[in-house]
Amino acid sequence: MNVSIVPALKVLRPAAVVGAVAFFGLFVGYWANALLVPGTSPEQPIAFSHKVHAGDNDIPCMYCHTQARRSISAGVPSVSKCMGCHIEVATEKPQIRKLTSYWDNKEPIPWIKVHDLPDFVHFTHKRHISAGIECQTCHGPVETMERITVTSRAIDGSFQLGTPWEMGLCLNCHKQNEVDNGTDCWTCHK
Amino acid sequence: MPKIERREFLKLVGAGSVGVGAGFMLRETIKHPPEYLIPHVVAPEDFSTGIATWYNTVCSMCSAGCGISVRTREGRAKKIEGNPNHPVSQGKLCGLGQSGLQVLYNPDRLTGPLQRMSARGGETFEQITWNEGLSRVADRLDLLRAAGRGNRICLLSQGVGGHLAQLFELFMAELGSERLLHYDYDHPHTLYAANRQFFGEEHLPYYDLKNTRYLLSFGADYLGNWISPVHHSLGFGHSRQGRPDIRGRFVQIEPRMSMSGAAADEWIAAKPGTEGVLALGLAHHLITQGYYQGADLDAWRQALRDYTTTQVAEQTGVATTTITRLANTFARSQSSLAIGGGIAANHSNGVDTLVAVNALNYLVGNLGKEGGLLFNPEPAGSVSHPRQASFRTMLKLAKDAREGNIEVLILNGTNPAFTMPAAAGFTEALSEIPLIVSLSSFMDETTALADIILPSHTYLESWGDDFPEPGVGFPTGAVSQPVVSPLYNTRATGDIILTLAQHSGLSDAIPWNSMEDCLKDGWREIYERADEETRTESFEVFWRSMLKAGVWGEKSQRDQTFTLAEGVIDNIGVAPPEFSGSPDDYPFVLHPYISNSFHDGRGANLPWMQELPDTMTSVVYGSWVELNPVTAEGLGLKEGDLVDIESPHGRVRAPVYVYPAIMPDVVAMPIGQGHSTYGRYAKDRGVNPIEILSAQMEPHTGSLASSATRVKIVATGKRVELIKTGGTSRDLGREIVQRFDPTAQSKTGGAHSTQLNSIPITTVTT
Repeated sequence: MNVSIVPALKVLRPAAVVGAVAFFGLFVGYWANALLVPGTSPEQPIAFSHKVHAGDNDIPCMYCHTQARRSISAGVPSVSKCMGCHIEVATEKPQIRKLTSYWDNKEPIPWIKVHDLPDFVHFTHKRHISAGIECQTCHGPVETMERITVTSRAIDGSFQLGTPWEMGLCLNCHKQNEVDNGTDCWTCHK
Repeated sequence: MPKIERREFLKLVGAGSVGVGAGFMLRETIKHPPEYLIPHVVAPEDFSTGIATWYNTVCSMCSAGCGISVRTREGRAKKIEGNPNHPVSQGKLCGLGQSGLQVLYNPDRLTGPLQRMSARGGETFEQITWNEGLSRVADRLDLLRAAGRGNRICLLSQGVGGHLAQLFELFMAELGSERLLHYDYDHPHTLYAANRQFFGEEHLPYYDLKNTRYLLSFGADYLGNWISPVHHSLGFGHSRQGRPDIRGRFVQIEPRMSMSGAAADEWIAAKPGTEGVLALGLAHHLITQGYYQGADLDAWRQALRDYTTTQVAEQTGVATTTITRLANTFARSQSSLAIGGGIAANHSNGVDTLVAVNALNYLVGNLGKEGGLLFNPEPAGSVSHPRQASFRTMLKLAKDAREGNIEVLILNGTNPAFTMPAAAGFTEALSEIPLIVSLSSFMDETTALADIILPSHTYLESWGDDFPEPGVGFPTGAVSQPVVSPLYNTRATGDIILTLAQHSGLSDAIPWNSMEDCLKDGWREIYERADEETRTESFEVFWRSMLKAGVWGEKSQRDQTFTLAEGVIDNIGVAPPEFSGSPDDYPFVLHPYISNSFHDGRGANLPWMQELPDTMTSVVYGSWVELNPVTAEGLGLKEGDLVDIESPHGRVRAPVYVYPAIMPDVVAMPIGQGHSTYGRYAKDRGVNPIEILSAQMEPHTGSLASSATRVKIVATGKRVELIKTGGTSRDLGREIVQRFDPTAQSKTGGAHSTQLNSIPITTVTT
């Protein structure tokens, strides 16, 4: 007596097709998420425009990010710093009203962090600023951005919006500029 | 193209939708959660994000008064180091001082005022507001003061100095009470008393370890915990390695090798309590060999006639050759220094022992000399000693409490329920007091008995000042400033006292609104009577620069001439020590020693200190009892065997640690563990040897003779694994321990040390 599994497979075929469609859908959903909610340019509690401030009005980066030249972190300006101008400037705009309500309630603005390095990387702004590196070298053309987007650079130096930083970015620059101990592990991982 | 039926189509659409949804959610769940950048509302003036700010202040973990620098970032304390400007610590700090951060951030801190909701013994407390707590206390104080019964109020504090001590004085005087006591378990009462007898002044001198060439330490664990260990360690380092052609030599005389003993060139064990006899034996040798030629030579000769080398050797168990060698080297090395304390002073003859040590310094001319013993000027501000309660004073307090003469007890940071022997009945006496108020930051054993708890800030959150004792040879003082904002709903001790004073209408005598004001007024006075170098500009400039430097000092030094007080020579002599318990029933002398990690138990709630291996045994997280290998073998005990250590007053249970560097008839236990409360890290861990001590006293000072209790060791048959980082204590052929045959006659060390120890201690000839 011949035994064949073909009849059994025939019965299973519709289920296999359904499974394949579901599996394909999994990839589509994943891709759709990456396309629609990339996380590289999150929506902020206030729609702050770097284009208006740093681009159109030409305010220097370190007017607000005062700690960049002194500290490891560039620092986010205090609410009072914002209010320094916006107690007079553009007070009627809806986004500025939001700002004023934070100020009136004496609450900090919960900005979402865009540019981030893993905890095992020791990066200091102070060293890079004092070496004369432009902010845009790493942060991209911030003065053109309505909303901050993570930006990396290709090896030819062109900006790649939406691509997070990787170690190659640091190393390329350290090599090109012949930084002392610039490729030593312990320079950054300490 | 296969024909798809409606039913099939719906199935496929359903499957596709579920797949897409699952894929979407999959990426959503594996994403990094967003991090936030929370800015300040108003930028603070005193720090910048990402930049460390260092504040200089004073350590309060023990009474030495080291200056510390605290690294803060974004308003939080991150690291404590020694303050390089401060003459006591000079940039160095001990482990306990480093652990101050874990006092600040301790998860078991009291976070707000509490009041008792159950009978004493239970630990049910209810949160109250500061106003409720303060007015309950203040009302009672008012009542007693109005009725002229102010003397029924007692303030029992840990040792504090500076203007907080002065504020306590003022407050208690205004309430009409003389019961102001400071209590520290390890306060060196005997040392103060010996110095008063010998030098006519009740201050600690400066022991110049830094410049000495030959140090004889009678029981003082000066590197571990004796009066100012960080400063002594600095001196030790300099003496050993800081001078090009000179290497200081150190001899440690004690029945159980301490950390200082291990670091010394020579460790000598005299029978417990006979260290003073040994000192007088050395003195006798100095006299007879003509090293001393003073006008009072005959009086000395007469006073020391009973301390001949052979008699002393018999009493102390130290060989005659060792005695003469030590005396000769001590006299010939210039400068040499003898210090005494610790176990040598914790006997019934403690003061006499320390007087004998002073006599040694006197006879070879070490007094007022570099590398010897230098006299300190009067401290520039209040020190704790005049108010320090001896064991006898504490017993008197307990008696008063039992007789109903204490109606309010205010506790500040001290924990006598833990550091008083059970035989003293102190805890039971406390329960007779109608109102106990504790200002402690932690629920320690004494605070657990309180009715109202008004928790104070830790020292890193409050204002204060300190005038180090022992001093450093010149007038100096340091202000301690808050390095972080208070973490919880607590208040500074000084501010609590000031609020109580205001509540009781004492504002005329105690006019300040805050401890900071009080401190500033006090320092203005110091500024005004300071030398010209200090008073170059205004007080404000001085104050700011002192907060920055963390310390103030003057260059002036004291006249170092010295004349011996009347009657010293006639009264010199060390009686044999008295022990409680008969040698037949209780064959061993118990030596409870202050732990380098926990001090008197205050450090037991700090995880860093719990996990720090003990310096000599490498044991972590527990208690143990140290037995000589010969003793352990005689009792059939091995490391890890649980034994009962039984005194006439109780027993505690601990595992055996076989320790070669202890006399066979002495057993030692570290102090600090065995808390019944005091937070998650301290509670129910190890045992407290103080519990089983007998209430023996040194008669001159009334201080506890803590090494005068005899015990017996009873095996329980149980075993535990002793947790320690050290591996084997055996050599295993690595030739890291120098050995020689103990049965052969030693050419250098004499028979003495070989009899006592199973690992022979070689002695080096001079």
